[in-house]
Amino acid sequence: MADRYEMRLPAIRLQQGAQHIYCFGVDGKRIHDFATVSRVHRDDDQLQGYQRPEVLSHIRAIRRYLESDSPLLPNAIVLAFDERVKFEPSAPVGDLSYSVVGELIIPVDEALPDDEKPAWLVDGQQRSAAIRDADLAQFPVAAVGFIAHGEAEQRSQFILVNNTKPLPKGLIHELLPDTTGHLPVAYARKQLPALIMTRLNASAKEIGTPFGGRISTPTTPDGYIKDNSILKMIENSLYEGALYQYRDPSDGSADVQQIELHLNYFWTVVQAAFPEAWNLPPLKSRLTHGAGIQSLGYVMDSLTEGVPAAELPGLDLEKAISKLKPIVAWTSGTWDFGPDNVRRWNGLQNTPSDVSLLTNHLLRALR
Amino acid sequence: MKFYFPDSQDLVSPTYDFQHDEYSPLRVRQRDDLYAHEILDTPPYSGILVSKSIVDGAMKGAGKYTSAQRARLYRLGVERFFRLPKGVESLGDNGAFNYVDELVPPVTVEETLDFYIGCGFDAGVSVDHIIFGYDPLASLDDVDPAWAERRRITLRLAEEFITQVSEQNLNLQPVGAAQGWSPTSFADSVEQLQKMGYQRIALGGMVPLKTKDILDCLQEIDKVRLPTTELHLLGVTRVESMDLFSDFGVTSFDSTSAFRQAFMDDRNNFHTENDAFIALRVPQVDGNPALKRAILAGRVSQKDAIAQERVCLRVLREFDGSAGAIERAIAELDAYETICQVNRSHQAEYERTLTAAPWNECECSLCKTLGIEIAIFRGTERNKRRGFHNMSVLANKMKKLKSNVLTSTTRSNHG
Ligand SMILES: [Zn+2]
Repeated sequence: MADRYEMRLPAIRLQQGAQHIYCFGVDGKRIHDFATVSRVHRDDDQLQGYQRPEVLSHIRAIRRYLESDSPLLPNAIVLAFDERVKFEPSAPVGDLSYSVVGELIIPVDEALPDDEKPAWLVDGQQRSAAIRDADLAQFPVAAVGFIAHGEAEQRSQFILVNNTKPLPKGLIHELLPDTTGHLPVAYARKQLPALIMTRLNASAKEIGTPFGGRISTPTTPDGYIKDNSILKMIENSLYEGALYQYRDPSDGSADVQQIELHLNYFWTVVQAAFPEAWNLPPLKSRLTHGAGIQSLGYVMDSLTEGVPAAELPGLDLEKAISKLKPIVAWTSGTWDFGPDNVRRWNGLQNTPSDVSLLTNHLLRALR
Repeated sequence: MKFYFPDSQDLVSPTYDFQHDEYSPLRVRQRDDLYAHEILDTPPYSGILVSKSIVDGAMKGAGKYTSAQRARLYRLGVERFFRLPKGVESLGDNGAFNYVDELVPPVTVEETLDFYIGCGFDAGVSVDHIIFGYDPLASLDDVDPAWAERRRITLRLAEEFITQVSEQNLNLQPVGAAQGWSPTSFADSVEQLQKMGYQRIALGGMVPLKTKDILDCLQEIDKVRLPTTELHLLGVTRVESMDLFSDFGVTSFDSTSAFRQAFMDDRNNFHTENDAFIALRVPQVDGNPALKRAILAGRVSQKDAIAQERVCLRVLREFDGSAGAIERAIAELDAYETICQVNRSHQAEYERTLTAAPWNECECSLCKTLGIEIAIFRGTERNKRRGFHNMSVLANKMKKLKSNVLTSTTRSNHG
């Protein structure tokens, strides 16, 4: 079996400043023949290099995607080569002086231990592992490589490439409702709450649509209730409270329309009970603040759990919520949480302990 | 004889993907998940035991409940929260285990009753303080003063407990907790509890006792026990002795042991009515902490481990019971053990399991749907299902006891 050979890959060499990078395609199934994901080895009991174990759950998710109908991996993996890798131009330098067509020559020796392979996978470890594991005969991917002079340069590239800032959360939450296909677990869970929030926010600012235009998101900068407060309230209720009844546990889908109805009904009662506090931003009102939104979310769960939206009018929520009037201090005055715990109206923070303090305070008044 | 299963938030996810070992990303813990009484055709117990310390937290760290779950338990009550079918009862206790190191119980009778009434339990055990020691020769007076004090505390709190239950006319069956260190002291506790008005009494601190010691205590208790007094054994399993126990007025007990053996025991992981087998260990490369550490340290090759893990699963899934299949499975499991650097080989025990293939014989709904998967020691979803299977075996064993009457629903489901 020929386990030592040269791999010749058509490539374009680009000039970047004083350096070259190489763009090429390679069968993802063969990447591990010449590239290592880590330079770890033991030398006299001293750990050398760096090991980065694969995140198998992530790999599995990519793999499932790759095995789906028409997978696409458009972004390139990044490889740092050592000096054993060569580039041979196949055509004279043309009009584009920075771009040269040729062949990248990678020496492959399958018997080499991992830490002596000529390439280091700087970016795309999970993707290439997924390709390796997938039930596919081959899967060519785009690759970008550079020839590094020494391990230190490989390392610095590794850190640079892996140090990109993730997208801002708010923006992701806004994109989620209109996203289809495979999503990472954390985002899959947020998709439904984000969709509900978007729909609540889309209606007009009037009685009956208490959240319309009031939720602040990257594209609704005039909103004043923090998107995160609303998302948390929805998620809580969806998983632990009154909104759970609209969810199908077998596939996680939900009756969004009924959820919207349920939320709008309850929060309209809140809006009508405290119209001024509802119209003020969190700085001037604890009602629209994270603490108020979440605590009243728990009040909603407590009053409406197991009751379908259509039957909410029969509960006389107006009467229940009006019981809160004497004990709240949304915009002025003090909160009386007990003999040793009196706080100014704005002395409440959006912390779990303050939220639970306020929640208990409200629930006691309802009993 | 009634069996109660102590709750420790043990559920399984019905949408778990065994093929890919993945949860649905949308799964909601506890709400979407199923209890043993929901996933098995017949509830494998006549009741659940819920400890306050597990729900509310106690001295040894926080409880097992998130604050949202806790709030929902109080809001919905124990029956709706646990989605208990008709006939499955609820019993509350304090979980005295969690404050065994304290001088006095860090919980009042009032708080305990708030928990029982707030959650709507059928019955509740009075506040107790465990005595960890057994000395049949020590008399009531001449004994470690700390033990005597714990028994006094337990009796005083029991008195306060039943007084409040009757004064407030609470809808709760009061169960008096008896502590002791000898047959005499237990009998004395029971006698005093009966005088207070208890008709049901839970015997605590008996978990470490030998069966003979338990019988000695029961015999002594029997001399003072009123014919109407029912006894509960806290945390004691010993199914084989239950007929004997029942002769002395024991009508119920609770235990996690059949369940926990599925993943805590070295070898008796898969129970059958007359035997126990070792489950087939195929640890998850990315889920097993010991294996993860070994990979991180560079002692185990992640690549090799993943490859062999898959081979093992494939071979087990293709298992057809033939001699060749048994041999192949043992060889691959053995190879995986070598890669994972497991010191002790389980070859002989695996052969016994694979030859008997007990999951094929089992009538429980889990074995019928999962087949060999339930016998694979791997991750919480398989291990807990095997635990549930063990409980259904226990329920079957109990049905055959001469003393036994499981709940009426359980029987009616069987015609
Ligand atoms: Zn079974």
